[in-house]
Amino acid sequence: MSFVQRRRFLWILFLAGLALLAVAANATTLSSLRFEELVNQATAVARLRCIGVESRWQDGEIWTETRFETVEVNKGLLPGVVSVRMLGGSVGNLHSRIEGVPAFRPGEEAYIFLWGHEGEPFRVLGWSQGTFRIDRDPRTGVERVTQDSAADPVFDPRTRQFRHGGIRNLPVAVFQLKLQKALEEKTP
Amino acid sequence: MKLCVNRICSILLATFYAIWFAPIAQAYSFDMIVPDVRQPAALSGGSACPVRAHQLSSTGSIAVRWSTALNSNPVTILTQNQTASGRLTEIEQGIAQSLAVWSGVSGTTLVPATFAPLSRTATQTACGPDGVNSICFDQADMAFTPGVLAFTRVITTDRLGVQVGSSAVSTQLGQILDADIYFNPSDSNTAYATPLALAANPKAYDLESLLTHELGHFLGFSHSAVWSAIMFPFAPTPGTFSGMRPTAQQPDAPLGDDDRTGLRVLYPDPVDAVHQGSIRGRIFPANPIALPASPPGVTGVFGAQVVAVDAATGAVAGATFGGWSCVSPGPAQFDGTYEIDALAVGHSYTVYAETLNGVVDPSQITNAINSLCRNVMTDPGWPPLQGCVVPAANISFTARTRPGP
Repeated sequence: MSFVQRRRFLWILFLAGLALLAVAANATTLSSLRFEELVNQATAVARLRCIGVESRWQDGEIWTETRFETVEVNKGLLPGVVSVRMLGGSVGNLHSRIEGVPAFRPGEEAYIFLWGHEGEPFRVLGWSQGTFRIDRDPRTGVERVTQDSAADPVFDPRTRQFRHGGIRNLPVAVFQLKLQKALEEKTP
Repeated sequence: MKLCVNRICSILLATFYAIWFAPIAQAYSFDMIVPDVRQPAALSGGSACPVRAHQLSSTGSIAVRWSTALNSNPVTILTQNQTASGRLTEIEQGIAQSLAVWSGVSGTTLVPATFAPLSRTATQTACGPDGVNSICFDQADMAFTPGVLAFTRVITTDRLGVQVGSSAVSTQLGQILDADIYFNPSDSNTAYATPLALAANPKAYDLESLLTHELGHFLGFSHSAVWSAIMFPFAPTPGTFSGMRPTAQQPDAPLGDDDRTGLRVLYPDPVDAVHQGSIRGRIFPANPIALPASPPGVTGVFGAQVVAVDAATGAVAGATFGGWSCVSPGPAQFDGTYEIDALAVGHSYTVYAETLNGVVDPSQITNAINSLCRNVMTDPGWPPLQGCVVPAANISFTARTRPGP
């Protein structure tokens, strides 16, 4: 490709990039939930540590029940051990998969926005949108929070505009402040 | 001097490309399955190399039915025709057209005859692991929460001789035994409009775009990070649709080239003489110390999206989720290998690698990443020599390419 061709190509890319920003988008399976909406709609919000994962047939489908140890409760009332049930998993030689359903490994910690009706197991609100994983820098020990859907440009149906939101690499302390602020401002 | 300037310009442009491409040009990926090598080789193939989840593609092998049970309060499926029978006909046309989008791609074994005639059921709870592929618009499911519009649940198997419900007994590893598409029936803020009804309902999602995307999962696709691909994890804004509407001349018009290439990789037609090109290579960090110490054995960059851009048109011709390879009897080796197949021959391509830290991040292709390995921790009794652990995707490297020969 000649220099002129590359330059032309670059301009095409530049314009395409601008067009992309102008094109509104929304996750195929997910609709936008702003952080404040997540806080409002969640039955409970907590920092949880995964202690076990088990998949089994139940109600005619393969479900995965993830058990968490409650580290810190930010909203709602939770016992010391919380179970979250999500569709999909592996049982025997069958593998049930759904894109966007968060999966957890034992030992992993996350702030999770839980949602559920009374008498039913918890679900993760908005799937990847309600999952905020915690990474600890092995050298500095600093913990940072990243939302599974952090990279999603999301469409707000009320303003009919898109925003590149989400939480990515936010220090835990800052995340807690943001969460606390949203909890204080939440709609009664 | 001119050569030097050209080289500097090339480096600058390459850097610029990397920055600009990052959010728009990544790759299709597939739902992968590691065969259960604890089973006899006659059932598992004896190899722990990941295989792609896929449907059988012989004539009439894929049957799809859809449930005519529709939510009436609120009405979630919007049609132009308001008569009872007219509504169903219009919805069915949309489903048939979405299926035809995928079977309209040239150079694959997925052809219109692969699909059995679309059928209807009045059962509201038609979706379930019964071996019958179903589309449901009004079936409540315990998986839905606020913010979830629709999903596809795919059941695959890792050995031969397995069936689900009335499905065919698996004759291929990675065979999809049941795939159901669920639309959220109870979100009063969300509606889906057929193509005929979309213009009059600008706040509704385009049913055909979402269906076509979900059918991609149904066929074995994970997500793509090519923004123009139908498998890009974001649908168009309400009131608009993905790509172009299908036509008789171009039934696959809503797809991007990346979708087409992915389909050709997934369902290759052995007699297709056009899409036989492959590009293969490895990605290494400039400093080997940058490789993760754990798990052991990682010798190349894992998690890169390697993209082939048609040098003449600038279109993303195809791409892959790179960083691993596998030779029977496995397991997967994380050696930085990538391979982009099913490219049209006679074209020149520009290839580059980029990290998954743009529009799509690793969490969005979890299935494609996590399903590369099994081990004694995930599967008791797994042969240690065929076990592996998937390393974390590398999302911090900067791509630089060496000049070609």
